[in-house]
Amino acid sequence: MVTKSTKKSTKKRPAGKRAQNKEAIRKRIVKSALNLFQTKGFQTTTTKAIARKAGIAEGTVFNYFRTKEDIALSFFEEEVDHAIAAVRDNPRLRKAPLEEKLFTLVHSQLEYLAPYERFIGAALIHALNPASHLGAFSHRAQQLRHRYLAFVTELVEESSPKQQQNALSWLVPEAFWIYYLGVLLFWLYDSSEGKEHTLAFLDRSLHVGVSFLTNGRR
Amino acid sequence: MAAKNNTPTRRALRMASIGAGAAGSYLSYFLQRAFIGKAEGKRKLKTTHTRVARRMRDEMQSLRGPAMKLGQTLSLQAGILPDETLAELASLQMEAPGMHPSLVRVQVKRSLGHEPEEIFEKFNPEPFAAASLGQVHEATTREHKRVAVKIQYPGIRETVENDFKWFRTVSKPAQASGHLPKEVIDEMERQMLAETDYRLEADNIDFFSEKLSPLPFVEVPRVFREYSSDKVLTMSHVRGRHLEQFLVKKPSQKLRDQLGTNLVELFYFQLLKLGAFHADPHWGNYLFNDNASIGLVDFGCAKKIAPAEFKYLHSVYLYPGDRHSPEFRRLLETHYRAQGKKLSTPAYRALVSFSEKFYRNVYPPERERHEVFDFADKKFLTDYIREATKLFRTKHVMAEFLFMARAEMGLYHTLHALKARVPTSDIVRKYL
Repeated sequence: MVTKSTKKSTKKRPAGKRAQNKEAIRKRIVKSALNLFQTKGFQTTTTKAIARKAGIAEGTVFNYFRTKEDIALSFFEEEVDHAIAAVRDNPRLRKAPLEEKLFTLVHSQLEYLAPYERFIGAALIHALNPASHLGAFSHRAQQLRHRYLAFVTELVEESSPKQQQNALSWLVPEAFWIYYLGVLLFWLYDSSEGKEHTLAFLDRSLHVGVSFLTNGRR
Repeated sequence: MAAKNNTPTRRALRMASIGAGAAGSYLSYFLQRAFIGKAEGKRKLKTTHTRVARRMRDEMQSLRGPAMKLGQTLSLQAGILPDETLAELASLQMEAPGMHPSLVRVQVKRSLGHEPEEIFEKFNPEPFAAASLGQVHEATTREHKRVAVKIQYPGIRETVENDFKWFRTVSKPAQASGHLPKEVIDEMERQMLAETDYRLEADNIDFFSEKLSPLPFVEVPRVFREYSSDKVLTMSHVRGRHLEQFLVKKPSQKLRDQLGTNLVELFYFQLLKLGAFHADPHWGNYLFNDNASIGLVDFGCAKKIAPAEFKYLHSVYLYPGDRHSPEFRRLLETHYRAQGKKLSTPAYRALVSFSEKFYRNVYPPERERHEVFDFADKKFLTDYIREATKLFRTKHVMAEFLFMARAEMGLYHTLHALKARVPTSDIVRKYL
């Protein structure tokens, strides 16, 4: 899982000042870029504008990211890391049923995405373009999805013993991915105060989804 | 719980309720049927309706939120349900599926800024009771006080609004015919929306806590404002058992009589003295104790009685003379006029019949009789439902009647379940 890139430095390591500094700049770039994506739109935002907003030279941006798509992807990687950590670092969830873990997972993703809602909507459409780096066909995006779904599978497996798995099991990650996209769409279009309808939807759909899963396994 | 949840029926019902959303399309189906059925000789269909009603009741129970409340209130109005089912519906216990503990935490954190475990010394993530708009959890404060924390379901306010938007549409025929006046719907919506703001409920609790203090047998919770918001309401724990649990222990006739007397006293103290009442007294909102004290919970629906209405109630209760008399008619007419309405002949007849066949029987006006009414016989309840239904089938019904009826239904149902014997008229007379 460890890659050369700096992106997965959320794990603490005794970093030197230099590395710390690098990480701070990287974070600044992502934050500035996301703010611009949200306010000015993804398409119209240039790396130059990102650099200006982050208060660095445009060349410096390229030391960290090749394209703005890369920046967006690394934001999504952080989002997934954050959500996985939200489930794993919560002691109350250690023995909680599957639904609870999935609820926390998806909810912390949505919370992470919330400040950039407009951009998320645009990115979802952008991602449908096969040529895009953000798209489902880009290698890095696929890797991220695999990592995310591997975690979901892990959660499913740890809450149901192996011998109870059945022919449907291989469907779980696929089904969950579609479900997740559905929740994301629901969330994007949710105009209720504090997007409370999404919470209600998540709460109830997980009830049904998980009971399907466990009944299918019997 | 797991076994119950996994039966195919349960799952199908859940699915249906998901499909319908909290807006309760099933209810729409039911009410539509109700209004269509009314126009087309409904008696023949009684057996079908019974089945529909039963299914309806089960379904409403699995639906969370306002649809259930709406159904409860309107079951009286629809007038097609057999009495038994109607009675059952009115006293429906709120048993909606609970929220996931993770959602409970999110709701509390959004509302109070911290997760419940950070706020309270102890917090039980499993609810101990479900209300129509939220669920209740047990907790202990840092000061070691036992409390009940009511947490609202997400998005309930919009759900109420949607339910009513839909309901206004399907009930157009009934509105046009005058059987369901617009102001009744407005009043119901206003009331239900008010119930979604727990700060108003907190105010109600404070109000009743002060005003009911002359009644030593009533316990009202205390609000912990520091742990409350519009969507979270923290109250002191109220002692007592729900009616079913209370009856399991086979309380003596004496105790049941005393409790019944206290309930009636509590009701008329509010109605005739305070001019405000706890308008949702289905038995889930009463807690009973062996010393005949009563704990009150859930103050979401409290109604204030307008001065004109207050005067009217004082004049008609225990009306001594002939209720067919012109004088009695004038009383009714004045009351209708005060609301800007005309008393129609059918409404007049229904009111007189109500007064004669129910009130005179349960509350005999003759001072010397000191009658102790026995609520064990179901006849009084069927009388009540029959007369109320008659009244609600007339045009231009007043919104107050609907709330009154809901409150009375709750009271009478509880009295019947207790099989209590109560000096009804003597109590009413005390407060006239």
